[in-house]
Amino acid sequence: MTARLAVAAIGVVFGFVLAWSGMADPDVIRQGLLLESFYLYGLFATALATAAIGLRVLRALGARALLTGEPVTWTTARPERRHVVGSLLFGAGWGVSAACPGPIAAQAGGGALWSLAVLAGVVVGIRMQLARHRDAAGVVVTEPA
Amino acid sequence: MRALFDSQPPWFLAGPLLGACVVAMALVANTRLGVVGGFSDLVETATRRSVRIGTRGSFLLGVAGGGLVFAVVSGGRLLDGYGWVTRAFPEPAALAILVGAGVLIGYGAKLAGGCTSGNGLCGNAAGSPASAVATATFFATAVVVSVVTNALFGGSA
Repeated sequence: MTARLAVAAIGVVFGFVLAWSGMADPDVIRQGLLLESFYLYGLFATALATAAIGLRVLRALGARALLTGEPVTWTTARPERRHVVGSLLFGAGWGVSAACPGPIAAQAGGGALWSLAVLAGVVVGIRMQLARHRDAAGVVVTEPA
Repeated sequence: MRALFDSQPPWFLAGPLLGACVVAMALVANTRLGVVGGFSDLVETATRRSVRIGTRGSFLLGVAGGGLVFAVVSGGRLLDGYGWVTRAFPEPAALAILVGAGVLIGYGAKLAGGCTSGNGLCGNAAGSPASAVATATFFATAVVVSVVTNALFGGSA
């Protein structure tokens, strides 16, 4: 329970910053994707740099997770066909709606009615993918996101 | 307080705050930050008719909560319509287009193992080659689709 509450609190910060930075506004994303504004790319690059440096600092310090006590670790994956095919589909949906899953959640939480249309689509899409990629034993074949 | 939230923070402030969330997830729970994983968690929870929401689902509920907190402290700066789609198309068509785009987002990001946050932010920060390929693919695709749809249908702000 503590872990879920702590993770939810981090989610609140993440959602708040997404909304504040305009990432939950399709017009702001659209300007970025039309290469009319640098904001999206500056935000993404500094977010990525901060995360990459922070994770490496945790590893260098041999940090242990505060709630579980286990060493902070992560795994990497080799590119497969599904990463390309999935990202082509996701990129197309992102390009049309000018919204991706984090901002969609923040929009819905903020009471934006139209976001519910995209959100409903996301749920259907995930269900379709789960249904398609289960083997006969009902085990999901692809890695969970 | 409201004035502070009336305009975008500089990207060099907002970006590191988002990146710090990835680090916090690792430090607190040794977990990857990802939003599609959260949607998937909730979908699977609902499918099992279970009330037990996992870590990833909890994160997603937090993200929605963050959107709510922002709406409150900024005085309810709500979206009017949904960007270019609701300007370029009548409501029924816009609804169908947005649901269809959502299906592509959900199916595609789930298949690729992550979205802009799971692959783009967290996976790349971890140095995962799969995330680098995924990110290059979805960014390039989204730019091309945006330019083409803008040329065909307009609707820019």
